[in-house]
Amino acid sequence: MTDLLVTLLAAFTVWTGWRVFRVDSMVRASFSLMLSFIAVGGIGVLLSAPYIGVATVFMMAVEMMVMAIFMVMFMMNPAGLNPMSMVHQHRFSIGAGVVAALGLGAAVLLSSPPSNPVLSDADVVAELGHELLGPSMLIFETAGVTLLATMVGAVILSSRQGRFGNADEGSRPPGLSPDGEPAGRKPDNGGEGHHHHGGHG
Amino acid sequence: MTLTIILLGAAALIGIGLYGALSQQSFVMLMMGLELMLNGALLAIIGFWSLSLGGMPEGQLLAIIVMAVMAIEMAIGFALIVAVYRKRQADMTESIGTLKQ
Amino acid sequence: MIVLLALAVLGTLGLGAVLVVAMDGRIAQLAGQFARQRIETEAPDRLNRDLAPVWYLALAAAGLSVVPFAPGHALLDSPVGIVIWGTCEALTIVTVFLHGWAPNAPFPLIGAYRYVAIALPVMLPSMFVLIAAALPAESLSLLAIVESQREIWNVARQPLGLPLFAIVVLTLTLRGPMDFADAADIATGTSADESGSARALWEVARAAMLVSASALAATVFFGGPLGPALPGPVWLWIKTAALVAAFAWLGRRIARTTPSRMLTILWVVLLPLSFLHLAISGVIAL
Repeated sequence: MTDLLVTLLAAFTVWTGWRVFRVDSMVRASFSLMLSFIAVGGIGVLLSAPYIGVATVFMMAVEMMVMAIFMVMFMMNPAGLNPMSMVHQHRFSIGAGVVAALGLGAAVLLSSPPSNPVLSDADVVAELGHELLGPSMLIFETAGVTLLATMVGAVILSSRQGRFGNADEGSRPPGLSPDGEPAGRKPDNGGEGHHHHGGHG
Repeated sequence: MTLTIILLGAAALIGIGLYGALSQQSFVMLMMGLELMLNGALLAIIGFWSLSLGGMPEGQLLAIIVMAVMAIEMAIGFALIVAVYRKRQADMTESIGTLKQ
Repeated sequence: MIVLLALAVLGTLGLGAVLVVAMDGRIAQLAGQFARQRIETEAPDRLNRDLAPVWYLALAAAGLSVVPFAPGHALLDSPVGIVIWGTCEALTIVTVFLHGWAPNAPFPLIGAYRYVAIALPVMLPSMFVLIAAALPAESLSLLAIVESQREIWNVARQPLGLPLFAIVVLTLTLRGPMDFADAADIATGTSADESGSARALWEVARAAMLVSASALAATVFFGGPLGPALPGPVWLWIKTAALVAAFAWLGRRIARTTPSRMLTILWVVLLPLSFLHLAISGVIAL
């Protein structure tokens, strides 16, 4: 029974993962990816990893919501009314993807990992907690500090106020001599980026 | 048998993710490809932990680390997208070709 | 036992939703909706438009299924019950977004978009409050959280918890000061281009979510089914009903501010406050 459900969920996660790059709207794509993650979370719950499974669903629901927000913010076509295809180096990518999947698949089929299933009466959630705040505390805390650094870095990177003025007004560093030429590389031409936007229909 | 199915699923997810990361022009879609590859890794970790490692707590720790990696990738990725968009009004990989030089 | 618990969950949700709608004085209005024709927008996402109210209702039911109706008995007796509830909260935001995105019309999309911008930061206080409630129980299971309140309820032990969670409840049910999705100032937002039975079902789902969230608040802060003399489910119903009334009253009494000011309040005031709450609760639990 568990085997059948796991198989179905595995098929579902691959199918929805494939749909991410086939649907015509980015909002659909991001929620398709969310379904893929939810299926993986479901597999986790079925395979007696309740915390990991449920936490995956929780994390990914929030993350994909953020993704959808950014899509509506940046994309010229958030709803997906017009057909669109925004791909480059298509043949090479297909080849790389197929080679990666086939290679890993062959490795899976040719190897025989040991069969040592988790005991059904093990208290895995408590074990995880003791591991996180016990033997592996250094790893866990490193992850925490990395996340903090990420937060600081993300805020600085996305801040509108730059070192030499507002980022969206073509900020220029001060000159090397008083009233001299601005230091740093000169922009090619001012509004070039505007024509790019939406040009790759 | 279950483990083989799970690992084949994970291999397929990593392949699809690699295809997406290499082929998409839009930054956000490109990041979805990366997320999909991490999804495959997460699936493989859950499978190994549950069926092959006898429920070693370190396996769950690894899954948590993968989730942290996803969160970091998202945060820094979107911050970079916002920074590039502010500078160039662009959300496509082609528009920052000057990075090559 | 399982059949009884499933009946209790469905009964509480159904009856509670009807009572909430009656309390809001909207029974006639909703019943009238069923007779109306459906509005069609141009090129909608039909699947998500039709399924959004169903998801909302299903999430309310899933959230209620982890709530213990008697000490030691919940329909979904999971060691991570409180994380399951958190997942329902996160998926509720997704559902409201899809409800506004699917009709492919301006007002619904604006409603969905600004709701998500407000609701995502609300998730943070929600998580801190729920984790704080799990600290004295030393478990993520709601059954253990109920057991840990035999001596003293969490509402007395963690006084900041309930006010913070009230904001979460108002956000999840799109009510009063947190109703940035279906508010009147953008012509009922995500529901603007919807009428007929789908609109009525959406309103019922909102009411059901209020019942579900109040039941969780009753469990986490007021000891859920614990109480003298009366049987467990009756105590849970009494506490849930009182909380439903309190949350609905709060929603009517407090004015809504602009989304940008609400964002500042959430990030600058409520997030540090919930940090503080978690730290104090942790010290007390030691």
